[in-house]
Amino acid sequence: MKLKKFVKTRDEKFGEVIFDTLKEKVFVTNETGKDIVDLLQQGYSSENIVRSLSDLYNKEPAEIQNDILSFIDSLKNNSLIEV
Amino acid sequence: MDKNNIININDLEAPLFIAWQINAECNLGCLHCCEEAGHSMPDKLSRDETFKVLEQIVALKIPYVAFSGGEPLLHPYIFEMCEFLRKNSIDLKIETNGEYIDEKKAERFASLNLRSVQISLDGATSVAHEKLRLGGNWNKATNACKLLKSKGVNTEIVFVPTKFNIHEIGQIIDFAYSLGVYGIYTGKIMRIGRAAQNWDILCPSDEEYKEFFTTLNEKLKQYDGKMKVYFYPYDVLEELKYRRMSPAASLLVIPNGKVKLIGPLPFVCGNLKKQTLKQVWENYKISWQKPQVQEFIDRLIKEPKLLAESNKWVELFH
Repeated sequence: MKLKKFVKTRDEKFGEVIFDTLKEKVFVTNETGKDIVDLLQQGYSSENIVRSLSDLYNKEPAEIQNDILSFIDSLKNNSLIEV
Repeated sequence: MDKNNIININDLEAPLFIAWQINAECNLGCLHCCEEAGHSMPDKLSRDETFKVLEQIVALKIPYVAFSGGEPLLHPYIFEMCEFLRKNSIDLKIETNGEYIDEKKAERFASLNLRSVQISLDGATSVAHEKLRLGGNWNKATNACKLLKSKGVNTEIVFVPTKFNIHEIGQIIDFAYSLGVYGIYTGKIMRIGRAAQNWDILCPSDEEYKEFFTTLNEKLKQYDGKMKVYFYPYDVLEELKYRRMSPAASLLVIPNGKVKLIGPLPFVCGNLKKQTLKQVWENYKISWQKPQVQEFIDRLIKEPKLLAESNKWVELFH
């Protein structure tokens, strides 16, 4: 998975802005969303993102899995990433 | 994840979009030109000043820029400017009348991997287009679309409805599809610049707009998934009423480096010859709250004729 060609991101104090410049739509997300997008950009699979963030946040994977997968789904539903 | 309208500009370190009118020179004299283009601006940004602005766009990680004019292809180093931004992964749109696009330029644009090139096409045939765009050549504009498309450039068309051409909306959308472009944009004509001066002969009636939007909605369904048909349903006053509460995360740079709050207002919130882009962005954020701005918007709502003053710049900071 990776961000689509005309999708740009920029760090902000609250997290991150995700800008689909082709559709001219802007999304904002918090620090956790930013971490997920960063890992997606590095080529991590959903499973590896869950694993990596469970280490980072010191939480059980089961605790955070649903939130992470739901966030990735919202990226897909808004056509921000391609598989 | 939250979308669009909840973005507060005060939370952003920099704008997300720069609309940059890079020159005022134009080969046409369009009756509806917002910028009243066609002349050379004596105090336009020098080459050094221009590249300093470009460097700041990159440094501030502004993701998206649009170059317009005047006619941007008359700018002496437009391609160098494009190359600079693209080399730094900034998405870029060029808004042009298309008349200077030949095979070589189309290839050059293709190599830049632009977000898009947007061509102004104000008619499905030459008659309305050339009546509105004085000195314009419909064949050249449509050929530009074909050339760009053939080279793989993401191409868009923008259509401004007026009394002369509003009835052609269905045809122009069909024509755009036949050209294979990515999308077509339209919306109500803005009562600013030369359009404000020619308002009585240009502004469509309510009845004409009603038919226009009915056709647009039909075409939107017809081309769903095939071509982007985008229209903005609000007029300039409705836009201002919204923007005074929720300013866009964008700056409008004019050829002399001054930065306007928004096209329809005369207010200037900075000057890139004297200030950094970051300073101008901070000015922009507070400008919208200034009583002078809010009161002027109130006056505009009561007296829309004041929109004709949009290009008589008023400095908010001295």
